[in-house]
Amino acid sequence: MIVCVAVVGHQNNPLYLQSFTEADDELKLHHIVQCSLDVIDERVNNPKKTGPTLNETFLGLLYPTENYKVYGYLTNTKVKFIFVTTDLDVRDADVRNFFRRFHSAYVDAVSNPFHVPGKKITSRTFAERVSTIVKSFGMSAAA
Amino acid sequence: MEDYAEELRTPPVSLVSLVGCPELHATISSYLHSEQPPINTLALPDFSKISVMARTQKETLDSGHPGGILKRDWILKHRTRVPAVVAALFTSDHVSGDPAQWLQVCTDLENLKAVVRGRNIKLVVVVVHSTVKEHSCDAPASRKEVSLDTIEEKLVFNADEVSEDRMIALRKRAEVDSKYLVIFVQNDSSELKQSLNRQAIFFKLGSIFAELSNTYYRDEGRRIKTRIERKSFKSIELNIRYCFKARASTLFFSIKKCLIGCIMPSKLQTIVSFTDWKRNAEEISRVAVYAEFHRDWVEALRFYEDAYHVLREMIGTSTRLPAIQRLVEIKTVAEQLHFKVSTLLLHGGKVIEAITWFRQHNASYRKLMGAPEVVFLHWEWMSRQFLVFAELLDTSSTTILNTSTLILGTPERPLTEWELHSAYYYHLAAHYLREKRSCLELALSASETANEIDSNSESVIPSIYVGQSTRLLQQGDAFAMQHLTDAEYILFALAEGKRFQDSFEIIALFKKSFESYSDIKAQRMASYCGYRLAREYFSISDFRKAKQHFDGVASLYRHEGWVTLLWEVLGYLRECSRRIGSVKDFIEYSLEMAALPISSSAGVQSPNHKGEYGPAGPASLPQREIIHKEVFELIKGESVSASNEGASNLDITGDQPLHLEIDLVSPLRVVLLASVAFHDQVVKPGVPTLLTLSLLSQLPLPVEIDLLEIQFNQPECNFTITNAQKPPLVASSNGEEGLRVENAPVLALHMDKWLRLTYDVKSEQSGKLECISVIARMGSRFAICCRAESPASMDDLRLWKFEDRVETFPTKDPSLAFSGQKAIQVEDPDPQVDLILGATGPALVGESFLVPVRVVSKGHTIHSGELKINIVDAKGGGLVSPREIEPFSIDSHHVELLGILGPDGEDESQTGPENIRKIQQSFGLLSVPFVNIGESWSCKLEFKWHRPKPVMLYVSLGYSPHSNEATAQKAHVHKSLQIKGKTAVVIGHRFMLPFRRDPLLLSKIKPAPDSDQVASLALKETSILIISAKNCSEVPLQLLSMSIEVDEDENRRSCTVQHGGENPIDPALLVPGEEFKRVFSIIPEVNTPKLGVGTVCLRWRRNPGFEEKSCSGTIAAEVVTSHKLPDINVEMAPLIVSLKCLPHAILGVPFTCYIRIENQTQLLQEVKYSLADSQSFVLSGFHNDTIFVLPKSEHILGYKLVPLASGSQQLPRFTLTSVRYSAELQPALAAYTVFVFPSKPHFTVEDVGEKKTEPSATE
Amino acid sequence: MGREVSESCVDSVIIEMVSAYCNRFYVNKPDLAARRIEAIGYQVGLQLSESYTRILLVARYTMERPRFSDHLEAIKFICKDFWSELFKKQIDNLKTNHRGTFVLQDNRFRWLTRMSSDPSTANTDSSQDPSVATAENKSTQATSMHLYFPCGIIRGALSNLGIPCAVSADISNLPACELQLSVCFSITCMITR
Repeated sequence: MIVCVAVVGHQNNPLYLQSFTEADDELKLHHIVQCSLDVIDERVNNPKKTGPTLNETFLGLLYPTENYKVYGYLTNTKVKFIFVTTDLDVRDADVRNFFRRFHSAYVDAVSNPFHVPGKKITSRTFAERVSTIVKSFGMSAAA
Repeated sequence: MEDYAEELRTPPVSLVSLVGCPELHATISSYLHSEQPPINTLALPDFSKISVMARTQKETLDSGHPGGILKRDWILKHRTRVPAVVAALFTSDHVSGDPAQWLQVCTDLENLKAVVRGRNIKLVVVVVHSTVKEHSCDAPASRKEVSLDTIEEKLVFNADEVSEDRMIALRKRAEVDSKYLVIFVQNDSSELKQSLNRQAIFFKLGSIFAELSNTYYRDEGRRIKTRIERKSFKSIELNIRYCFKARASTLFFSIKKCLIGCIMPSKLQTIVSFTDWKRNAEEISRVAVYAEFHRDWVEALRFYEDAYHVLREMIGTSTRLPAIQRLVEIKTVAEQLHFKVSTLLLHGGKVIEAITWFRQHNASYRKLMGAPEVVFLHWEWMSRQFLVFAELLDTSSTTILNTSTLILGTPERPLTEWELHSAYYYHLAAHYLREKRSCLELALSASETANEIDSNSESVIPSIYVGQSTRLLQQGDAFAMQHLTDAEYILFALAEGKRFQDSFEIIALFKKSFESYSDIKAQRMASYCGYRLAREYFSISDFRKAKQHFDGVASLYRHEGWVTLLWEVLGYLRECSRRIGSVKDFIEYSLEMAALPISSSAGVQSPNHKGEYGPAGPASLPQREIIHKEVFELIKGESVSASNEGASNLDITGDQPLHLEIDLVSPLRVVLLASVAFHDQVVKPGVPTLLTLSLLSQLPLPVEIDLLEIQFNQPECNFTITNAQKPPLVASSNGEEGLRVENAPVLALHMDKWLRLTYDVKSEQSGKLECISVIARMGSRFAICCRAESPASMDDLRLWKFEDRVETFPTKDPSLAFSGQKAIQVEDPDPQVDLILGATGPALVGESFLVPVRVVSKGHTIHSGELKINIVDAKGGGLVSPREIEPFSIDSHHVELLGILGPDGEDESQTGPENIRKIQQSFGLLSVPFVNIGESWSCKLEFKWHRPKPVMLYVSLGYSPHSNEATAQKAHVHKSLQIKGKTAVVIGHRFMLPFRRDPLLLSKIKPAPDSDQVASLALKETSILIISAKNCSEVPLQLLSMSIEVDEDENRRSCTVQHGGENPIDPALLVPGEEFKRVFSIIPEVNTPKLGVGTVCLRWRRNPGFEEKSCSGTIAAEVVTSHKLPDINVEMAPLIVSLKCLPHAILGVPFTCYIRIENQTQLLQEVKYSLADSQSFVLSGFHNDTIFVLPKSEHILGYKLVPLASGSQQLPRFTLTSVRYSAELQPALAAYTVFVFPSKPHFTVEDVGEKKTEPSATE
Repeated sequence: MGREVSESCVDSVIIEMVSAYCNRFYVNKPDLAARRIEAIGYQVGLQLSESYTRILLVARYTMERPRFSDHLEAIKFICKDFWSELFKKQIDNLKTNHRGTFVLQDNRFRWLTRMSSDPSTANTDSSQDPSVATAENKSTQATSMHLYFPCGIIRGALSNLGIPCAVSADISNLPACELQLSVCFSITCMITR
């Protein structure tokens, strides 16, 4: 189950961060997302280290914390998508699929003329779409 | 890692035991220890001590009924108590002594063998010769050698007392191979031999021991391996069986336990001793042994790993111990196995394998929390795993340098970056330790009977099995071990847990991971660790350290705009500074928090989550408002509300008011942002210009500012704005009076709304006027000094720019918002002083030309004025002609500034020394004295023209209108004037031959190619020189004198120049264009083709007109214009023709004229002459003839002429041709004119001196 | 993806925007107007680049390197995909000196096709007689006003792809019009009609 989804901008600033837990560990999730940015930087700056996902938008598993897993995705416009899940075994295809759908949702959100690029995403429709995508995560629905 | 037993951490060393002959032990053991690999020795003085090696009672008991998986001390035992080899040392005299001794030896051997056989320890017998008698060795010695090489042979020969059969008997008894019977000579007489022997013996002993211990360990290994292979499957299936008949008898269980229990240690024993020994060897061994070593290594790993797996299988199965302790024991053993495995892997450089192995280890045990009461034990264990692995990674970090290249992990389970770095493990270790602490606190609070924990925990000791602990019961004088029940064990564990202070451990771990994350440039991970670290410090109320770490973290979050995290950290910081009691920090943090971009929607938190949040509480708008209120209460003077715990001794005391600085990078920019924009770029001094001051604050509640102070770089422009609502502050800075005070209707800042104030500013001082800062005073003791920013270059608020809000301009006018600057350029004041250059006409070359300069001050008084004079060529080009190189030649400048004359003629340099005065040829600097309003000051610039060149004269006056301020900027007046230079007089000259006397100048006849232009004069003949001076200026000139100076004195002899007539007494006035002539007669004395005649010196001056008289009483200085006359060519004329005849004749009256031909040469000159006819005369005589003129003599022709016409008539033309020179000489026409009167006139001669005679007819 | 809109509408919107900014909001402050128009273009460029990179991604999802590794790839993206998405054609010519100057040439820039300016005055250099010069300048200014918007779009797209740049348009040689993207290195698009 996905506990947190985040969109992070150019300057590693959070553009959208939503947690899907009842527990009050929101801060912890913030921390996790923020720390995973280090891994993203690492992979982008010297990509030879990360063999399979070379120059792919999908960055794969960023790092396992004590009881979470963090996956990352980097668009060509240097916007980072990160989600944190508690599932122990996650299928790669699911993650890619998730990110694909998430990306389209994001693009629609920022293409809204009333959205100023570089600012936080406050669109409600986006939030709803994201929550549906999150809910449908795991059951391999085609994008 | 340190808390592991030393024998576990370090590779074991094989052990050898020496029995008997204690005097030798030291030397031997030291030698063996220095052996590579080292061999430890267990020295037993005599055979009575050998029991230590024997299986002790306890062991035998345990082997029957094993209490645990793995004995705590088994490796230790193999290192200290159970040797691999026993060396029995017998003195030779015992061996070869009387039967009693021999019997003693035999019994000792027997006992020893008994002991040794139990553990199948290898045996070596050493026979020691105490005394050696020196005598020649002979042949039979060779028979005695017992399979020893030559040196021993000699020894054996020395040991001749021991008879061979005794030796053999000894060998038989000892049941050792002959080569394990060593004969040892204790002391040899000759040092060299001794050392030799010692070395030899030791070498032999060492090799024997090494070999034997090696074989021993290998045999042990093999033996137990076979046992495992025999039993392992059985143990498994036993386990399985055991699984479903869980109710079986304890006896049965004990057997299973025995099996498993004996599998474990034996495996371990083999592997440890074996592999570690090998690895030890590997360190010194060469590449040659690599393959073998490697093989063993892999094997060792394999053993460790399946030991580990068997153990893992045990978990579900065994119920030998109560559940909790069983789990603890298994975990402990697993820990040690894991430690060994990962050590081997890492030292082998197989980092990835090690890490994956650790992963599995972690994954397989993470879930085994065990009983809830002692779950903290699990967390402690976990954290220890991570810590140990981290330390292992660190120690072997040298081998994992190449990780950057390797492809991480498997595609399905990829390794992530941090798993390669110890930081990750430190971090998690700290994390689990925190878990442990919290669980422990929970458990402690749960267990109400805290006191009796202590009571029954003291008698608990660790048992002989790893990971077990038993109670020591004292029955009389005997001690008995008793297993604990789980309840007891829990109490014991709790008591143990209480003894440790975990916080410091946690802090150390976090710090370690913080540092190592920082080393690998993972700043966010590092800052997260720093955050946890700081929180630990906070929890143990070490607020300063906490604050310092929180600060570091906060900067990152600020920079990347993680508001929620920043809020959290700031909350801690705020609390810290409150506890420390530093008001400034407290207010700063509070203000920043209050101004964070947190909308109320962001933090919808149910209150029961309070624990999760720091002292700041949940990030929400109400919380911001609370903080806002609190801090402003504090500012107003009420101390902080007592609601929050901790010594809140915060208040701002009046004597030291609080002053916050907000600069361009300060995080407090969100609190107050001041943008200042002038409405235009340049302004004249004293002219007011508009300035818009815009203030923005993101504080959630409106802020009332009591007083605004706007400060400029020109302090006199500063002004203050008071709030109309508020009474003027008494405490506000009334220090400087006379400051402008504006009054604004309202000075309230609302969140995210610009407060725009427009005022006019007037600056008297030219230069840059820049608004530096805006100080907002709230209350009497609090002020925020905010650096002014210009809207053009203002970068947006760092945190708020990500917010979805409407950007507003600081100024209403968007163009001003784009281009507005906080600085403005104030121009120079325009001068109110006239600078008059009175120049009259063109300057004349040679004269010193005066340009009068008048400085008339109309509006300004002139202080410290200075006059700059500069002349440049009007046509561009420089004033220095390239021809003259030498700098001091007066002509090097065509025009030069000679000097500056003061108002009344005297030189300016005489006036005081404070005046600057600098004069170069084309530049002058002159200081102008103080001139009051309405007064004027004047001076004259004196120039001299050397060439007729037009010149641009620039004069600029710089002065300061205000007295005595050096800072006051200067006003400047510039004037320029073009002056053209003219040559005053042009001097010309002409040479004329004497009247009616024509020398034959050959150069005239046949002009030499070069001397064409040079005038030629006849030697010793008077000729006339006419000098003419023409005034070509526009002004009338006065000629004072004209003369010819003959410069070189030899020319004085060479030619004489007389002035015809004398100097004009009264200066001849030369109107423009008029020419003045003067006649000189010149007689060359020497015959030279180049004769310098001299230079004409013309002294003249301007004719003083009226205007100059009026402006200056002095008449213009006289000027000398000199003109060098060209050289003349003097030559001796061979023939001179002169005509003698009356100047006039009367019509019809005959008269005679003579033509004299003088021959000045030594030669006879033949000349032809001819006389042309003329219609106005009739003449008698030859018309033409050829005559000879004798040398140095003359020939005179005489003609009688009768004029036929009156008036000025031409005499018949006479032409002479010299045959010798073939040169024709024709006298000038002018010489051959006579005036013919129609009738004889009367002459009245008035004055003799009169040259020309005017005829006056008289009837 | 997405719905489509008639091109004439787009044209008229742009023209309307330009005229609004030049003749209503910032009368006789052309630089300010240009600034605002360019800013609008910038934002549009940012958003378009988001969606177009997404399109690219979907199109080439099988490709092994969908992420741009260097500037050149991004520039190529601008020239090919972005341009064809925006102007229904690709750049005609892409030149670069390898020190970062890129010259993008579009011989028939879509948005200028309907813009009228007679080539006679266009070709005459404006130095001959002042009257023609002023008229020339006027038309030039108007055209350049219309070019600020596409410039902004390109700039926004590039900077969103991580290439900070400043785009300027000069139409010195009409009908060929040349808009210059000066990045940290400079790109020159010459757009010929």
